[in-house]
Amino acid sequence: MFKYVSLMALSLSIFLPLSSVTAEMKSMSDQALSEVDGAGIGLVMDDFVFSHGHDTANDKTFRISGLTDQSGAPVTLNVEQLYIARAGSNYGSVLDPVNLGRLNNPFEIDLLNGDSVGLAGKAVLQLAAPTKVDVADGYDCLDAAAVLGSGTCSSRPSEAGWENGERADLGLELQVNVGVETPRHLNFHAESAVFDGSYVRLWGDDAAGKMAAEFRVNFYTPELEISTCTKLNEACGSAVKMKGFAFELALGNSFQPLYVGADAITGGLTLQLAQLTHEYMANLVPATGLSDGSAEGDAAYAFFNDYYSNADYRSNVAMTEMEIGGVSLGSAKVEGLLIQHLDVKFRDLEP
Amino acid sequence: MLYLVRVFGVLFLGCSSVFAEMASIDDAALSEVTGQSGVYLTGEISINEEGGPLNDDYFGSCIDVTKVCGARIALQTQQDGGWFVLDNIQGSIAFEGLTFQLRAINSGFGGDGLLFNRDVIEIGLPETLKFDEFQYTVATSNSERPAGAASTFKQVDFMTVEIGGEVTLEGNLLVFPTP
Repeated sequence: MFKYVSLMALSLSIFLPLSSVTAEMKSMSDQALSEVDGAGIGLVMDDFVFSHGHDTANDKTFRISGLTDQSGAPVTLNVEQLYIARAGSNYGSVLDPVNLGRLNNPFEIDLLNGDSVGLAGKAVLQLAAPTKVDVADGYDCLDAAAVLGSGTCSSRPSEAGWENGERADLGLELQVNVGVETPRHLNFHAESAVFDGSYVRLWGDDAAGKMAAEFRVNFYTPELEISTCTKLNEACGSAVKMKGFAFELALGNSFQPLYVGADAITGGLTLQLAQLTHEYMANLVPATGLSDGSAEGDAAYAFFNDYYSNADYRSNVAMTEMEIGGVSLGSAKVEGLLIQHLDVKFRDLEP
Repeated sequence: MLYLVRVFGVLFLGCSSVFAEMASIDDAALSEVTGQSGVYLTGEISINEEGGPLNDDYFGSCIDVTKVCGARIALQTQQDGGWFVLDNIQGSIAFEGLTFQLRAINSGFGGDGLLFNRDVIEIGLPETLKFDEFQYTVATSNSERPAGAASTFKQVDFMTVEIGGEVTLEGNLLVFPTP
């Protein structure tokens, strides 16, 4: 028995140092974590080129499968080319390096104090593209030859003194194979594209038990071309060209976040924007929409006034000229789109 | 037995005295440390390529649909919710010349370098990445893994991406703290 006790004592002495180390670890509450205002991590791609394509003759594969058409026939997409390169790539045939992000305004991964972005007591993870800047310091987002002081984008176009520039040509050429049908093509090419002002914020919503998100996706290009020719090129007749294309998507915000998840029963993707409400909504006079004079009513009025008038919550799509098969259809705009409620559930069509 | 225990005791005491030699190094002292010319990495990452080390008709057979082949990563974003899944991750990625080094930037970048005037961590991407039968499936699922009765497990596959051959990936990823 004595031997046994000695052994116990020994094992205790081994674990004691370990347990004292574990005791140093403490969990951090959201409140405490939100006080952390650490420096973010800046990311800049210097001299960047990416290119890959499906080319069986050269032993290259790049294929997307697992899709089916309406009748259930398998659809295989051969990615003939996917490229990110300097503007002026001539549809991906000239792959010169480009920079993505600027040293003084890079892509950034940051932990934000929620108090500063309307999420009191929360820690918020932000992934952001270069931010928009004042017109005096910026460049026109839609002009591939923009000069300083012409717009709000921080990323610069390629020019003689700075050939790389921070605006890339993006392209995707797909060969669509459905069953035994003749392969069809679908190609996308965006010239001198920028994503300035885009960000994703993620945080935990305790009450809903869900990950909450706020998306701002900005995409600007002087020309976005969608074509169905065998190869992307300038001579393609069956092309839709959208000139001066600006896409600004606002999905979710601090008081009406986007919940991205998967269904626990069907396993399908779910996207939800909860119905908007306010605790003092009853203090608004229905006939006029104004406050009933109480402090609560004033708060509710201020909240909804901001909700309906603030351009930050709205999405826009605009193009200065749309051209189909060489015929110009003029300009097109969808402005001030406010997504008030969203409940999307994906499900598998197969039984 | 008691004798044996004492021997162990001495052994562990010796170990703890080694740990006691570890001392923290402050920022000032650390700033005196100068790095060498960086790290050059060449390697191959292989995940369950051809069913793993033993690919016969039973073990590691990727043809048998009743068995599971490839790695699976599942991520849940809602309490008691479903899962985002990267499934059937398999194949290999080989690269040569992935570099890590410190780089002082004080010029270039269209005039930004001079204003920046700081050190960054530079991750030099290999010129090419060689993929060999690399593939993954993007899906959502009601369970983190296909356990239990087959009738209750549901997964919606969005697409399977297959990549092979040499992929052009040039450039340097610069990493630095931002204020």
